[in-house]
Amino acid sequence: MIKLDVSDLHLSYGTNPILKGVSMQLNQGEVVSLLGPSGSGKTTLLRAVAGLEQPHQGTIRIGERAVFDGAGKVEVPAEGRNLGLVFQSYALWPHKTVAANVAYGLKLRKVPGAEIGERVAAVLGQLGLGHLAERYPHQLSGGQQQRVAIARALVYNPPVILLDEPLSNLDAKMREEARAWLRELILKLQLSALVVTHDQAEAMAMSDRILLLSQGRIEQQGTPQEMYGQPASLFTAEFMGSNNRLAGKVVERRDAAVCVAGEGWRLWGTCRDRADLQPGSAATAVIRLERMRPAAEGQQDNCLEADLSTSMFLGDRWEHLFHVGPQALRTHSPQPAAPGRTRLHLPASDLWVFAG
Amino acid sequence: MTTPVPSLAAASGWRFFPTRGLVIALTAITVLVPLGLIFYQSLLNAPFFDSQASPGLAAYAFIFDDPDFWDATKNSLIIAGSMALIAVPLGGALAFIMARTDLPGRRWIEPLLLVPVFVSPMVLSFGYVVAAGPVGFYSIWASQLFGTVPWNVYSLPSIAIIAGLTHVPHVYLYSSAALKSLGSDIEEAARMSGAGPLRVALDVSLPMITPALLYSGVLVFFLGFEIFALALVLGDPEGHLVLATYLFKLTNKLGTPSYHLMAAVAVCIIGITFPLVMLQRLLMKNASRFVAVKGKAGRQRPLALGPWRWLAIGLIGLWLFVSVFVPLSGVALRSFVTYWGEGIQLSEVLTLEHFRTVFGQPALMRGIFNTIAIGVIGGLLSVVCYAAIGLAMHRRNDRWSRFIDYLALVPRAVPGLLAGLAFLWVFLFFPPLAPLRTTIFAVWLAYTVVWLAYGMRLIQSSLLQVGPELEEAARSVGASAARTSRDVTLPLIRHGLLASWLLVFMIFEREYSTGVYLLNPGTEVIGSLLVSLWATGGADMVAALSLINVVLVGCGLAIALRFGVKLHD
Repeated sequence: MIKLDVSDLHLSYGTNPILKGVSMQLNQGEVVSLLGPSGSGKTTLLRAVAGLEQPHQGTIRIGERAVFDGAGKVEVPAEGRNLGLVFQSYALWPHKTVAANVAYGLKLRKVPGAEIGERVAAVLGQLGLGHLAERYPHQLSGGQQQRVAIARALVYNPPVILLDEPLSNLDAKMREEARAWLRELILKLQLSALVVTHDQAEAMAMSDRILLLSQGRIEQQGTPQEMYGQPASLFTAEFMGSNNRLAGKVVERRDAAVCVAGEGWRLWGTCRDRADLQPGSAATAVIRLERMRPAAEGQQDNCLEADLSTSMFLGDRWEHLFHVGPQALRTHSPQPAAPGRTRLHLPASDLWVFAG
Repeated sequence: MTTPVPSLAAASGWRFFPTRGLVIALTAITVLVPLGLIFYQSLLNAPFFDSQASPGLAAYAFIFDDPDFWDATKNSLIIAGSMALIAVPLGGALAFIMARTDLPGRRWIEPLLLVPVFVSPMVLSFGYVVAAGPVGFYSIWASQLFGTVPWNVYSLPSIAIIAGLTHVPHVYLYSSAALKSLGSDIEEAARMSGAGPLRVALDVSLPMITPALLYSGVLVFFLGFEIFALALVLGDPEGHLVLATYLFKLTNKLGTPSYHLMAAVAVCIIGITFPLVMLQRLLMKNASRFVAVKGKAGRQRPLALGPWRWLAIGLIGLWLFVSVFVPLSGVALRSFVTYWGEGIQLSEVLTLEHFRTVFGQPALMRGIFNTIAIGVIGGLLSVVCYAAIGLAMHRRNDRWSRFIDYLALVPRAVPGLLAGLAFLWVFLFFPPLAPLRTTIFAVWLAYTVVWLAYGMRLIQSSLLQVGPELEEAARSVGASAARTSRDVTLPLIRHGLLASWLLVFMIFEREYSTGVYLLNPGTEVIGSLLVSLWATGGADMVAALSLINVVLVGCGLAIALRFGVKLHD
């Protein structure tokens, strides 16, 4: 069942287009992340769904109800959309207690006083905030404030909950715990959630589906595994993981297999975008850091002779920096690398070739 | 979590807030109708109530033919120009000393610097007459010392200098705000290169706040054209007219009400002031951009003055003595003596008689009561009006918000004297409104419109501090715009509203010129009573009322200091 349906949405600030025709859907019980660099329009899309930004074209439906229709001049104001929104800054009202912050949405819906008390206590208990009901927001830690903001958005059972960079205000250590907690909560309560984030690891960990935005358009969408393992463009490949890049020229092509060569190297890779790669055209070969390994004994195809420049200890692994002529390459390994010259293997199926 | 919650549609409440359109329309009417009436009247050949009145330019022809008009224009220009020339360097110097150096006692000097902003110019002018006039306290003491009085406060240069000195705080406010936002690293760099405090101020700090100095220079020049009390009180003996006093004296010039001539002068004054207001707006925008470019304010560390501190103390002390102590001590002394002149012992003439007289006269008592009421109750009502307008514009960056923005500037360009006159005409022109003319409501309405720009700035600086996401959060949980204003925005700015109430109270206590043409039995306020008593020569009453006025403002100032209300933005 589709809970949220956005179709061909256009939005501009003055003459500056921010969203250039975005379409997406959110199903019942699904977590979808809006991912992208700053300026890609992900927050604007979330705010347009919430009713806080005004698109000029397209439609937004929540369940069966059109809340925005550029052609039909339908525009339901933010307060009429019955969505839950968790702000990046949490936006807790400093003049209200935790309980009053959470109760406000129920008060607006004319829920009887006794029932408000029960519901607020129930949701605060669920989020582990029961003992903080009478505190004011400034008396809470960052993590507690975040939970109050979530409680406030959940208490009136909105069909969809929107989260704008929910973890970005927490420090690095707490962020990983909060990520797991939030994912578990969303599954337990069977929420349908739309999450904005600029961190690809966060997006992959939290969501069932990722929408990658770039310059106001959806670059690619799919499950975290698809987005990471089968990028359809150089942008997606670059955004979803850490890569080595090799710029060169196509020298040979056999269906999806492409041979690329540069200064002192020649490698076979797989064409990922359906670009028209002909011998002589410029190409970029990309490989994830963890896919590049020291070559096994006797392995000859798709290898590079590289000089170790330095090794860095990262705690759970080592990172090595190699040079092939002017080209720098990085790899990860669980053990330190031997100094001097090493033969590195780049499997053809993991070396993705894109035009440009 | 599965029990249903009532839908919002079923629960949508009543509209709490007056609709935006109503607020905008009322504001537009109260600002534009009086102004329109001035323009309309200026294009008639006779007062509008005269059946002979017909359209024409005779009023302009008359005043342009009158040498007194050109004399007044020239004097206004001279005074405004010298005010800027005196106030900008002095205000800049005071701001540097107060904002950037380690001068001892800065905390208690600052409120004293702002006194001339909050004390009625009428009181200050009267203070100069009784303190430094030909038979003033200080003049007589000086002549006992030197054998002659080495100054003449009635000359045009004296008026210009006094006007300049009493407007130093305006420059001080804007310059010190700009200086406080400068990082002290740039000054320390100059110190390291070998510059002393004076060189640092002249070569680094003051040049960096040029936009603020320029803005305040234009502001003071503009205020020069609003000067009324100083010219009325000090300019009269030698017949120095400025535009505002020229207009005031026109009433008696022809013997009959010459509204068309007054309107023509009013249009000429607005013709000068309105472009200046627009220029200030432009400069203000540029100034804030300049500060933003400079980046984040660094750590603030006061500059050690060393031996220069004696010069700094001397400069501040001298200015305080001339601009605050002399006139206020004159007023205070004069209100407690029966008369004053050559060879009189102070101890022989002390009396409380003037206060007894004031308290015995119903009209004066009404004036005092009205002044307090218009400050306390009227101030509250005005803040409510300003808040309503502020909320109508809040987070709405559309045509109507810009319209209100410009609308608030219009009364800024109309000196209080003209605004009071315009409201008098409104009440005379529209017969259904006539009964209001003799009620204090008329004065309150005029005050509220005259101080619209000031009040809006107070409200808007409070509103600016409310994060937009706090309001968006309320909208997203289901509150309408009106409900959001009531439950989130207003509670969050309540301290700002209380502070605004206090500042508006002080401004309303100080106001004098707006009530002059609205003075009627029942509408007396201390400000307008001072003007009318001065015209009839009641110096004893003027002194006593002035002191009462100063005490009222002082109460406001004391409360403001007690609760840490910022006296400026």
